Amino acid sequence: MKKKGIAGYMDSKENEKPMLILKNIHKFYGTNEVLKGVSLEVKRGELVTFVGPSGCGKTTLLRLIGGFTDISLGDIILDGQRINDLPPNLRDTRICFQNYALFPHMTVAENVGYGLKINKWPKDKTAARVRELLEMVELEAFGDRMIDKLSGGQQQRVAFARALSLEPKVLLLDEPLSNLDANLRLVMREEIRKLQERLHITTVFVTHDQFEAMAISDRLVVMKDGRIEQVGTPIEIYEKPANEFIAGFVGYVNFMEGRIASIDEKTRDAVIATEYGKIGITLEQDNVQNGDEVLMVIRPESVNISLNCGGKSQNVLCGALKSYMYAGSIAKCTVTIGDRTMIIDQYNPRDAQHFKQAERVEVEIPRSVHLLKKNDFIL
Amino acid sequence: MATAELSLKLQASSGNRIKDFLNANLINILAAVLFLLLAFFLLYPIIAVLLKSFRGPSGFTLKYYQAFFSKNYYFQSLYNTLLLGVINTVVCLVIGFCLAYMTTRGPWLLRKPLKIISLIPLIAPPYLFALSLIILFGRNGLVTRALDLHWELYGFGGVVISQTLAFIPLAYMMIESTLMSLNPNLEESAYDMGASEATILRTITIPLLAPGLLKAALLIFVMTIAEFGNAAILGGRTPFLAPDTYTMITGESDFNMGSVLSVVLIAPCILIFFIHNYLLEGKKFTTIGGKPVASEPRKITPLIQVPFVIITTVAAGAILICFAVVFAASFYKILGVTHNFVLSNYLDFTSNQAIYNSIRVSFVAAVIGAIIGVLLAYVIVRGKFFGRTFIEMVSLSGFALPGTVLGIGYLLAFSAPPLKLTGGIMILALNCVFRFLAVGVEAGISKLHQIHIEIEEASADLGASFLTTFSRIVLPIMFPAFIAGFIYTFMTAIVSLSAVVFLVSPGFELAAVKIFDAAVYGEIGIASATTMKLVLIVMICMMILNYISKKTRLGGGIAKKPA
Repeated sequence: MKKKGIAGYMDSKENEKPMLILKNIHKFYGTNEVLKGVSLEVKRGELVTFVGPSGCGKTTLLRLIGGFTDISLGDIILDGQRINDLPPNLRDTRICFQNYALFPHMTVAENVGYGLKINKWPKDKTAARVRELLEMVELEAFGDRMIDKLSGGQQQRVAFARALSLEPKVLLLDEPLSNLDANLRLVMREEIRKLQERLHITTVFVTHDQFEAMAISDRLVVMKDGRIEQVGTPIEIYEKPANEFIAGFVGYVNFMEGRIASIDEKTRDAVIATEYGKIGITLEQDNVQNGDEVLMVIRPESVNISLNCGGKSQNVLCGALKSYMYAGSIAKCTVTIGDRTMIIDQYNPRDAQHFKQAERVEVEIPRSVHLLKKNDFIL
Repeated sequence: MATAELSLKLQASSGNRIKDFLNANLINILAAVLFLLLAFFLLYPIIAVLLKSFRGPSGFTLKYYQAFFSKNYYFQSLYNTLLLGVINTVVCLVIGFCLAYMTTRGPWLLRKPLKIISLIPLIAPPYLFALSLIILFGRNGLVTRALDLHWELYGFGGVVISQTLAFIPLAYMMIESTLMSLNPNLEESAYDMGASEATILRTITIPLLAPGLLKAALLIFVMTIAEFGNAAILGGRTPFLAPDTYTMITGESDFNMGSVLSVVLIAPCILIFFIHNYLLEGKKFTTIGGKPVASEPRKITPLIQVPFVIITTVAAGAILICFAVVFAASFYKILGVTHNFVLSNYLDFTSNQAIYNSIRVSFVAAVIGAIIGVLLAYVIVRGKFFGRTFIEMVSLSGFALPGTVLGIGYLLAFSAPPLKLTGGIMILALNCVFRFLAVGVEAGISKLHQIHIEIEEASADLGASFLTTFSRIVLPIMFPAFIAGFIYTFMTAIVSLSAVVFLVSPGFELAAVKIFDAAVYGEIGIASATTMKLVLIVMICMMILNYISKKTRLGGGIAKKPA
């Protein structure tokens, strides 16, 4: 551990320094560039998730941090120290693999204590630490079991305890939940997050499941084709996606093209001219100007849908209801407006019976719409 | 009303009763026929050997066994054979492990070349190595003359070296496949927890590989002690069981003693076959499946890297040199002694005649073997009758049996009526069929396991009879397995020596026997040229096999099976 500063002054300074810094990282396999200049800072105690479609480079990036793959260009800095050339056994990072990689010829306790044994801990200290770790993951009664006598969720916990045994500076989790069934995944997700917050351990999490990523992380790093597309909190990513890819990646989205017709600088009220008429919104971003060609990001659940179709109030469009799929707590509606199809999620659907028979409906675009500038999307 | 309908139905079906019976029981009838064939051509010859070892001129006797255990010579022979087995197994495992480790964990650059070289001996008859050792280190060998050495190649040492080289691919393939199935994340996890390369090997890799290594060891041991060619060519005055059996039969015509030697040789084989198939069955550490990824090369510490690189390079170098030497020797009367480049070895009439005979025998064996193999696989997988596992066991046992034993067995069983086969092409072909049946059967079984029984049920559901389903659905799907069984039997049969050496008749020589004789009589040029012809034939077969397994993804089952 680092020396403590006077009256905690140094501590707070120390705490502001990022735990992990990735500087312009490139990785080539032959001529194939799988990481194209990735830079990122991870704060102490933060849970950051790499998320993106398969082949985006997220797992490669994780393996680079763990030291299993050589870095082609760039630097990895762990707690102020450049660790590019350190092999995994000398790095203060621990990885949890997707398949847990528990040693099948050892018991639960031997698995958890493996790292301690390798690092020559005395026997009694090892035993105490293993007990502590097993208690932490609520497996204290399972120490003598063989690995194949555990359920998937229990194996996941053992892997987690093993990775934490040496109190690493950064914990690396490679799709740790993908081998569990859907219900257990939700439970384990919460458990991991709780434990991570309690231990205040810096964690890098990799998943291809965007909803899992949003639920568990402090910040998301959305990747595509070896590049970072956007870094932000789940709320920022969902509500203010940087581009069309991100908007579509973290949920369904309806896009509508338009041009900013006017902006009221005081109230930040703006009017967007679209082919279906004028839409009034309240701007929450300042990267757009009057006259800009924009793409409106309209989430399915943000749109109000109603039966009467006639009144010509602002932001209300009339369309044909193509399908209405009732599923209890939610109804999925498909509405065509002009030559455009919109997907609308109606929560707590009340007039389902009427909607089922309706042909024309009214659609109200919310005022809190995020705008993408023209150079952020491809027309 | 209901009863009337029922009786109507019964009436209608009574005419088809025989057909229905046949339909329902065809698979059982087929199984019975196949079992009779196995019993007659595989079990009966072995039993004949067993009986012969106990039957003196005046009935049951133990005097031959008494002779075996009281004569020092036989004891020495048994001792040599077992010692050879142990040494060979250990050395092959070590080299095989190093090779497999380097090709699965080592630097990318080395992986492919090492893998190819490790597998090269597969295209050669095992006795190629005996031949190349004679060319290099024999009394007139290149190295012997160049360095003016006075050593004796013929004996225990020579046999160990040639056997080791011959069995490297088997060891390599078995260890490589277990290493490949080992999740690389396990070793990476240990690495991540702070373990060094040596610690990972000691605490993770080797313990997890142990069941696989044990299996490989048992198999190599059995094949080594049963191997005939190298020991017969290079053994010199050192006795080994397999060649001793041969001299006992062909030299002294003592079938009783020959049978005793065979039984002694077969005992460890049967024991190990059972251990291998039943005790070790399922003894494998299971891990949760993830995406299997090729292991990324690690920074292997010099402590491990240096010995591994030395061992693998020496082994790979030795294999390449042996091939090069035999190739070169095929163009001289005696390489190193005569200096005229000649093609006469390739044009030699008796050699070509022997090759032609070998092709004929192997072709017949391959056709019969592939058919029986596919049918056996079918009844083993789809049949529901009693004794199914017994049939499977018998049909797979062929290649665990020493060839010499099956050779003598055929001599004893089929040299007199009711079925006199000796002296013809059929006895050679049938011998090969039942010795090498295992691979065809396994290929068939693995193919059938890929086919859901629902496909056949769907066909039956649509109204097809058993025969229609079998011929229209099963056979087409099994065709790749049939072809694989065919080619595999063909290329194994064409190089096999240990059994056919007992069964060839004067005037009908086979290529393998021709090479054996030529090597023993010092006709190095002829022996080398004939060997190269076999290498070429096997190489072509391999290429076809590879092509087919790539096309049909049949791969694993066949390619991994040892020769």
